Amino acid sequence: MLANVCTKALSDQRRGLVAWSVALVLLVGMYAGFYPSFHGSGSYTDLINQMPKALRDLFTAGVGGDLSSGPGYIYMEMLSFMAPALLLVYAIGAGAQAISGEEERHTLDLLLATPITRRRIVVEKSLAMALGITVITTAVGAAIIAFGAATGMGLSTVNVVASMVHLALLALVFGCLALLVGAATGRIALARGIPAAFAVVAYLVNGFAPSVAWLAPLRKFSPFFQYVGHDPIRNGFSFVAIAVSVMTAAVLVTAAVGLFRRRDISC
Amino acid sequence: MPVQHSAAVPPVKVAALTKHFGHRPALTGVSLQLNPGEVFGYLGPNGAGKTTTLRILMGFLRPTSGVANVFGLNAWRDAEEIHRRVGYVAGDVALYDRMTGTELLSYLANLRGNVDAEYMRLLAKRLDADLDRPLRTLSKGNRQKVAIIQALMARPSLLILDEPTTGLDPLVQQQVHELIREHATSGGTALLSSHILSEVQRVADRVGIIRGGELVAVERLDDMRRKSLHHVRVAFTAPIDASEFMIDGVHDVNVDGLALTCAATQAALDPLLRAVTRHQVVDLTCEEASLDDTFLAFYGGGPNAG
Repeated sequence: MLANVCTKALSDQRRGLVAWSVALVLLVGMYAGFYPSFHGSGSYTDLINQMPKALRDLFTAGVGGDLSSGPGYIYMEMLSFMAPALLLVYAIGAGAQAISGEEERHTLDLLLATPITRRRIVVEKSLAMALGITVITTAVGAAIIAFGAATGMGLSTVNVVASMVHLALLALVFGCLALLVGAATGRIALARGIPAAFAVVAYLVNGFAPSVAWLAPLRKFSPFFQYVGHDPIRNGFSFVAIAVSVMTAAVLVTAAVGLFRRRDISC
Repeated sequence: MPVQHSAAVPPVKVAALTKHFGHRPALTGVSLQLNPGEVFGYLGPNGAGKTTTLRILMGFLRPTSGVANVFGLNAWRDAEEIHRRVGYVAGDVALYDRMTGTELLSYLANLRGNVDAEYMRLLAKRLDADLDRPLRTLSKGNRQKVAIIQALMARPSLLILDEPTTGLDPLVQQQVHELIREHATSGGTALLSSHILSEVQRVADRVGIIRGGELVAVERLDDMRRKSLHHVRVAFTAPIDASEFMIDGVHDVNVDGLALTCAATQAALDPLLRAVTRHQVVDLTCEEASLDDTFLAFYGGGPNAG
């Protein structure tokens, strides 16, 4: 487990990863348990449809709500807000720990004194974060498929997988942003705060864009649009969204490498 | 034993090195060269620029101007290449607290890729380090031992040690000094910082004194010892004249009735004793001042002291 920077980072997170995965699986199980009382009842959907459009768009992340069908229910309860919010908390935390966490604890000196390049430290830490996100989203996806089948939600496995891939990429983008801020400043508070603020803005832009005309052109730039703009739980993969997300993450990591290599590491 | 690469290239070469943090100058025009097989003590009060110099040599900080070369390589640009041949202990030692010493050392050994596990165990034995408990449960001194082992375990050619013996008890301190001496005897070079001379005087060949970001002196310790002052007290049977003892190298001459007190450099001891023995002597004591006192006498005071 201590062969390189990446496996060391994963080994540090092993307890956290298990805890996050278990908690999210239980959350999916709980929501699935409520599903039978929503199923076939149009009244909740009517409630959503009675909301002002702007509010409805915000609640449904601009996709529209339908609580009576399996995909609509899992989208509304898990995918529109709860799952991305929790995944972002994990990813931003892991990204902030990657460089600025070690720097504030002064353990970064140990790493920097080895023949490992700063570039490799950033790349391996990013990889560890991506693997951590993969572990959690895999657990969530498996839980949705299993509990969905058990409660008769009628979910398409491919679409659940697609939703999880898009969710993982959303988390990766914000995790990479946290890593970038940490690598550029060495300050963990900034590495957590800036991406969190960005996430709130991006969520609001994506949610309000369908009902606020001047926001509409900005929507495509929101990582939340890449995540759910094409409604993955009903429509599956969007390769354009995947490409945009992967490139965004790659640009962020490249910038993190560049800024980290230029920076003084003071004690 | 440490591998000697091209012997002609100085292990450390610093020229007109300047570092500013924002507008605050931390280092101004420092020039220094270390020779293979040399132990160099880098002395100065806290905040004088010792750590800044060492961190520039490690490639953690980029110089504002001037040259910082290690084995002829640029300390900033070629940091990773340099790190293959350097062992480093930070001034403010922080380790991965949840790991045990063994885990930490094997992790760092994996990252370095050229560590002899047998030698690592030998070092742990000599320093009596506890490698089996989580590092957070160890005392500061025991953590320091682990930091020293990780610096030495790859048998580097150059050791850069920022106050390596702080927090260590005298016996372990002595062990560390022996390890540094052995490293130098086999051709390795060491640069160690301290804020007190007595901590490095047993191990260093030369010392440099830095104050307010400027290197104010570089001295061989042997020369320093020659300059070291001896406090001499003599009691005579008959009154004497102070002017007889105004010899070059003798300071603070004071005659009080039948007693003489003065301070003399090593070189001035012989003429002083010849002057003394022209009279009948009742008692004589001669005590060597500590090198720290000598240092203060030469470099103490001044606007930047502290």
